[in-house]
Amino acid sequence: MDWIKVASAQELGNDEAKTVNVAGHGIALYRIDDEFFATDSMCTHATALLSEGYVEDGCVECPLHQGRFDIRTGKAMCAPVTVDLRIHSVKREGDDIYVMSPAGK
Amino acid sequence: MTSSGIVIVGAGQSAAVAAHTLREQGYGGRITMLGRERHKPYERPPLSKAVLTAVEEPRLDVLTEEAWTRSGIEFSSSCEAVSVDLKQQHVRLTDGRLIEYERCLLATGGEAQKLPFVPHSHPRVHYIRTLDDARRLRASLQVKPQVAILGGGFLGLEIAHSALAAGASVTLLERANSLLDRFLPNEASAWLEARMEDAGIGLLLGASLSGVTALPSGRMRLITGAGDPEVDEVVVAVGLSPNDSLASEAGLEVAPGGGILVDASCRTSNEHVFACGDCTSQRRSGQTEPTRLESWQNANEQARTAAAAMLGNPIPTPPVQWFWTDQGQHNIQVLGQPFPGLEYVRRGDPANNKVLWVGHRSATPLHAVAINAGTDLRAIRPLLELGRPVQWEEFSLEKTNLRAWAKQMQSSASATV
Repeated sequence: MDWIKVASAQELGNDEAKTVNVAGHGIALYRIDDEFFATDSMCTHATALLSEGYVEDGCVECPLHQGRFDIRTGKAMCAPVTVDLRIHSVKREGDDIYVMSPAGK
Repeated sequence: MTSSGIVIVGAGQSAAVAAHTLREQGYGGRITMLGRERHKPYERPPLSKAVLTAVEEPRLDVLTEEAWTRSGIEFSSSCEAVSVDLKQQHVRLTDGRLIEYERCLLATGGEAQKLPFVPHSHPRVHYIRTLDDARRLRASLQVKPQVAILGGGFLGLEIAHSALAAGASVTLLERANSLLDRFLPNEASAWLEARMEDAGIGLLLGASLSGVTALPSGRMRLITGAGDPEVDEVVVAVGLSPNDSLASEAGLEVAPGGGILVDASCRTSNEHVFACGDCTSQRRSGQTEPTRLESWQNANEQARTAAAAMLGNPIPTPPVQWFWTDQGQHNIQVLGQPFPGLEYVRRGDPANNKVLWVGHRSATPLHAVAINAGTDLRAIRPLLELGRPVQWEEFSLEKTNLRAWAKQMQSSASATV
């Protein structure tokens, strides 16, 4: 498993998200209180990208059906989502943001 | 409460959420759940979508396996309640069993409305209300038939897109001259009609259907007065009738337009009996007449309200009404209500398939419709919750960061109070 550089810190403001590609996996990268987090980008409920969702209070809300996940833990917080979201390790070196490649996990 | 506990009549979305909420709020007594179908509580929204189109049927359970087990519900499937005795406080089942209750929750849902001129038990006629209904239609779609959908409401439109995706050729008949014009701004209706036609769905608006005839060939003829098309399968999606007869026969009050009458805490006219979900008609603050809401959100919210009220706990504040529909690849969300005479402002262009309309009265937002713009809709939700006038000038500008704008409007609207 490798750390893959996915973004620079200034690409995201607080409570913003974007999709990054890590070894072929679509991953949502978030910035909350100047810390960075990553989850699978695809909602566990329907075909929707959480990177296009609404980020507030450490949670992301799916743009399609308003299911909510805790970004730090991946926990499904309210219906209609019931299956937790996979989370990925993130590290910051200077302005560079790295995500642990999920390949082979 | 005594050991007779709580009986929930019905086993749909609302019933399951109510049972779950009772446990979350610490209720340790018996919960008996009586379901007419053979299934555990399942989500209905996918019945008109993924259940019809997905290679593998999606997971539909309302509660996770773990939550279901933990809730310790005494569940009887394939069983029907025939009467409720309000004095003796018991429910009688078809097999003669009597189940006593301390509190009874009616979550009996509704039935698909029938059209009088359609042979409704014919094997080529479909209604989509239950999982078994949806599976039967899915099986019929395997041979890529010609399908007619009767009714251009949200459900009919979803089924049309799904049948098309499953390879059927689809014609949709709607009596009105435009789609969903009571619920959507005109531009949104027009967008929806154009997308249906782009997708290759035959759309017959202003259709006056007077009969459906089964032909010896096995096909179905639709008598419309303007050419009588023949199809292989007919799907009727003309609305829902609330299952309120168990309540009315027991002597509970039913609203004039149908639906078990409940107050803000989901209590019926009997203090020990509550009701939630599609079967109800609720008196809500700020409204003169009780209203029925057939939505996933309402099924959940009334379930939580009824559960809290049954335990004597404070009831949650009702949220702004919200629902979604997935039309083929497009997601539409509606927040608030389409009161008459609203003035609409628009952000985005329907031609780009991403747009948000807000309907306001004297600058106070009361209705919002999003096409593929759920996150924008979410950003302005606090403004509808607040219910105060907003300055709309910058809403439509592309350069406006909607989330930041909404927060600014929220604080200035609050500050003027």
